[in-house]
Amino acid sequence: MEYLAGTIILIALFVILASSYNLIIGYGGLNTVAHPIFFALGAYTSALLGIHAGLPMAVCILAGIAVAVLVSVLLAVTTLRISGDYLLIASLGFQLGLLQLINNMEFTGGPAGLSAVPNTFVGQGRGTIYVVICTLAAIAVVWAIWRTMNGPFGRAVRAMRDDELACAALGRGLISIKILIFAMGCGAAGLAGGLYAYYFQYISPEQFQVAQSAQILTMVVLGGIGTTMGPIVGALVLVALPQAINFLQLPNSLVGTVQGLIFTTLVILFLFLRPGGLVGHTGSQSSHGAAH
Amino acid sequence: MIEWAILLQILWTGIAMSSYFVLLTVAFALTLKVEKLWNFAQAGLMGIAFFTMFFVVNKLGLPGWAGLTAGLAVTVAAAVALEAGAISVLRARNSGGLTFFIFTLVFSQFAAYVLTFLFGTEPETIYPSVMSPVRIISNIAVSDWDIQAVVTTIVLVAGLWAFLRFTRDGQFMIAVADNAKLAEIYGISANRAYIISGAIAAVFLTVGIYLYGTRAGVTPDVPLVLVLTSVIGTLLGGLGRVFAAGAAAVFLGLLQSFSILVIPSKWQAMLLYGVLFGALIVFPRGIPGWRPRRVQAPAAPAVASPSPAEG
Repeated sequence: MEYLAGTIILIALFVILASSYNLIIGYGGLNTVAHPIFFALGAYTSALLGIHAGLPMAVCILAGIAVAVLVSVLLAVTTLRISGDYLLIASLGFQLGLLQLINNMEFTGGPAGLSAVPNTFVGQGRGTIYVVICTLAAIAVVWAIWRTMNGPFGRAVRAMRDDELACAALGRGLISIKILIFAMGCGAAGLAGGLYAYYFQYISPEQFQVAQSAQILTMVVLGGIGTTMGPIVGALVLVALPQAINFLQLPNSLVGTVQGLIFTTLVILFLFLRPGGLVGHTGSQSSHGAAH
Repeated sequence: MIEWAILLQILWTGIAMSSYFVLLTVAFALTLKVEKLWNFAQAGLMGIAFFTMFFVVNKLGLPGWAGLTAGLAVTVAAAVALEAGAISVLRARNSGGLTFFIFTLVFSQFAAYVLTFLFGTEPETIYPSVMSPVRIISNIAVSDWDIQAVVTTIVLVAGLWAFLRFTRDGQFMIAVADNAKLAEIYGISANRAYIISGAIAAVFLTVGIYLYGTRAGVTPDVPLVLVLTSVIGTLLGGLGRVFAAGAAAVFLGLLQSFSILVIPSKWQAMLLYGVLFGALIVFPRGIPGWRPRRVQAPAAPAVASPSPAEG
């Protein structure tokens, strides 16, 4: 039962991550791969406040969101004047640099990470409580993104993605739009990070590596970039399918490797067989963002 | 006060150690120049190259040259297969940059998982010992490995320069790099140029990871870190400037080597990422002084002549 709860929670958290990433990359057309670092910032901020300040879980997670938003604004202000592939690579450098910082700091636990995150809920119902919290959070994030993208602001965001020059000519402040969607998306990633830290009670820099960027990006693109349902389907498929390996009772040392093999094989197959994504259109695909 | 001998020693060691950075960076920059592809799959190819050589030398007990030959053959074959079987398909579909990014990164991860499955996660070296004989020249320790690495790098880079400059295929690669569609109108096969650039890159990658793997331990995750260094070198050199990217890799190697004088070794990786981030923000198109000088056009006539595109 706990295993099932853990899987549902992971799916919900990845729905938040993939949907919020889709907001930035799919709707906004901003090619960054730094999303996992905001996930990490939310997780570390929440965990550190929980461990050292003993604040309530909700306050710690809110602080995690705030830090993720603040850092995302700083990144946006410095990098949004470059675009396309350059933004992609700059965000990669930002993520790896910040991760290295977390890895080398003593108060973040270094490479060993933080393992004493407070256990807010105890007893047999713990998994169920987190399932409810994480599922509600995922629904709230998806709903908020859907609402935002179907309103006037969403139309402005899509206009900016499709033609920046025309959008600017209509009097829209492109930088403020970019900063806003960046902050919204990264704040949601911070929320997922806080929930992750509190449920799993252990975080380490290894969990937020480049592989994580590829994983979330894959969920978005394979689900259907620029769609509401795409990231949800992508997260569901790419979290649930590799879990099937747990039923084969392989040695523990092999489970991660075989899961990785299944994940990467699925991604490569989907890229060639369903290039438009599971929810998006089929046929030839041209992803938003970087011209190639 | 730091002695000159120490500084010279760091300089020499930095140059020698930057040799594999140069080879890996040139491979990355060449692919980016000709194919317009940020090819993170090169990390996977590096892993394939290293573990092929490791298997031939360590498990089969064959000599180093046999390992290197096998590594070259397998990696070039893998690079050509990757180009012909996957990248060309994505290119034909007009896939976006994100799709290429995902595919090449995931291919590298896939290769890393397969290699982890086959060889485990312990760091491995091609030869049982990474020590090589050392001689003292003017108070500087120079190892056989240093000389081998520097000479190999110079020969390969000079060979690439000559290939691009003096062979038809090399000139075709430059033409495709400049404008693939126009090159095809003149009867040049862009696909052939892509495959040749992929094969040349595979040679550089194999030799680069050979040098690295005879000096330090390699795990299936290491190549991805090395590719990031290539990315930094390529950006610093300026896009489309293959040999400037190689020079930038030397600079990065020296920066890392000299940084031990002022910062602890654990922060060296962060220094590289800081350079990457800073370089992109300050010089998003490469270091300005390194950009090719444009050919001066003759004085413009009073009436504008039609541009080449128009006529």
